Amino acid sequence: MAFVQIRDMSVAFGSAPALRGISLSVERGEALGLVGESGCGKSITWLAALGLLPRSAKVGGSVLLDGVELIGASPSVLEPVRGGRIAMIFQDPASSLNPVHRIGHQIAEALALHRGLTGAPARAEVIRLLDQVGIPDAKTRANAYPHELSGGQNQRVMIAMALAGEPELLVADEPTTALDVTIQAQILDLLGTIRRDTSMGLVLISHDLGVVSETCSRIAVMYAGRIVEQAESAAIFANPSHPYTRGLLGAMPPISGPRQKLVSIPGSVPEASRMPQGCAFAPRCSEAIADCTRVDPAAVTVEANHLAACIRATPAKTGTRTPERVLA
Amino acid sequence: MTASQMPLLSAQDLARTYSIRRGMAGRVTNVRAVDGVTLTIARGETLGLVGESGCGKSTTARLVLGIERPDEGQVRFDGAPMPGSGSPGWAALRKRMQLVFQDPLSALDRRLPVGLQIREPLEIHRMGTPAEQNARVAEVMEEVGLQPHHADRHPHALSGGQRQRAVIARALVTQPDLLVCDEPISALDVSIQAQVMNLLVELQERLGMGMLFVSHDLRAVRQISHRVAVMYLGRIVEEGAPDEILHAPAHPYSQALVSAIPHPGKTARRIVLQGDPPNPADRPPGCAFHPRCPVTAMRCRTETPLLKPRPSDGRRVACHVAQGEVAPGHVGQLELS
Repeated sequence: MAFVQIRDMSVAFGSAPALRGISLSVERGEALGLVGESGCGKSITWLAALGLLPRSAKVGGSVLLDGVELIGASPSVLEPVRGGRIAMIFQDPASSLNPVHRIGHQIAEALALHRGLTGAPARAEVIRLLDQVGIPDAKTRANAYPHELSGGQNQRVMIAMALAGEPELLVADEPTTALDVTIQAQILDLLGTIRRDTSMGLVLISHDLGVVSETCSRIAVMYAGRIVEQAESAAIFANPSHPYTRGLLGAMPPISGPRQKLVSIPGSVPEASRMPQGCAFAPRCSEAIADCTRVDPAAVTVEANHLAACIRATPAKTGTRTPERVLA
Repeated sequence: MTASQMPLLSAQDLARTYSIRRGMAGRVTNVRAVDGVTLTIARGETLGLVGESGCGKSTTARLVLGIERPDEGQVRFDGAPMPGSGSPGWAALRKRMQLVFQDPLSALDRRLPVGLQIREPLEIHRMGTPAEQNARVAEVMEEVGLQPHHADRHPHALSGGQRQRAVIARALVTQPDLLVCDEPISALDVSIQAQVMNLLVELQERLGMGMLFVSHDLRAVRQISHRVAVMYLGRIVEEGAPDEILHAPAHPYSQALVSAIPHPGKTARRIVLQGDPPNPADRPPGCAFHPRCPVTAMRCRTETPLLKPRPSDGRRVACHVAQGEVAPGHVGQLELS
């Protein structure tokens, strides 16, 4: 059984649906990428799973963690999960850290909460964690305030804090979006190292297919509150089976080959309160047929472990499509 | 030099220093944001300026537009020295050079319909009769792919892509010769980025203006630019054709930038630079990149390398090692992952 099993989860704020039936599983130790544009529900999925949404949100469906239901669970069930079994880090580390406390103190708080460590053992563990995430001179830096560190170092502190609870799964929500390119490379590298050392699972939420493809073995593409395609990373690039995935790939400027017009997706993402009839992507889809505006397609198996929610997706003949535009 | 050969814009040895005070009683430090930048842009040419935050690329953009005065060096626009910021000569010139910002929502006035905002530069520069202005606004909106009915909308009633189109329309309404775009796509969603990149390339080809495209994204810079300049801590460290820089970067910093581009199917090992992006207030001596450089030699710590053509192939690069002046130092510490 999968470590986390999300089945038909839905979230609505008032009458506006933010998630419209998500089914997704994360295996123990797996690195899964969750890709989509702003507002597609990729962050909401995990906030809802951990019960972190405001009460006004209507959450439906089921999230099983090792077989235990989390949706509607009592605080006594959820508290050891949040930051304990599943930790989460966010895009902007500076706004997630408390500016008036030293970083060592903030990590120690997490240690006290999740592992009951205090005093000298906690201090030693803080330094070990800062060391593990690559903060130089950890002993001195533990006394620094967040504003004394750079953006990349603050993100390392957030990762150290997440690791304090020895989580089985780390959900990283756009962890490198606010960082510079060379610092992004450092953080992705660090996440890879930690995973090798601890066998921790990773859910990497990003708008950037490139970032996700390098780090994750499996990718789920989301659009307007739905998962439109999921497959092994290589299959997403070799055989993208949903027009939206193909659109995202076409929108990435190639790094070699002739420079030509990018294949852009016309229009923009629909608003939650004005979700189109049928397939939510149909109004922007260049391959839409009449049925697309009538039927909201269910996910079909394109090939082994490869699902696409498009009525035109058909089981592919292997090796017919080459990824040269993307891989060039 | 005849008028047709003369670059539209040339900047010579630009330098700009800011004074900052840390805290209430802190000591005043000088931050040299731009430190000797020389660049030219021809008509119909796009120069991509790429670098990380704090490298001085936005300050460079402001200097070439004359919004700020350089402490040293000179900007020439169309052969004549740039008049001082705020002077009547400069105000008159502003209709020929326009700026597009990163975040369209903060670049637009939320209380005004976008049609009025697109028209505003025509009113400021007193260009045409009201009827002509209406016609020009309609024309430029069509050029950027906005529908006529969008003119009556307020910014929040447009999508992100439409808002950036409105900002571009406002910049183009005076038919400028130079368009400076400062991170015009970084605040946009992936699918919208492609739309805006296509639009900028198409407009530049059709209207033949010169363009300075400032970005941290090498992929986007390649897509849009004819020439690329890589900046690090206030200086241009390498300059050349986009594909030359992307496929055979000469400067160790360009090499790290290129190897940091995440892309599917990547097989090459990534150079992970050590340390943080440098602090312009605490500029290392010699080559500013040397503390993070995997091939630093002794000379790099004392002597600042100049941007000049490399003997082997003429690539313009500011690096003692790439120029073959010194042997690469401690290669063993080059961290590959």
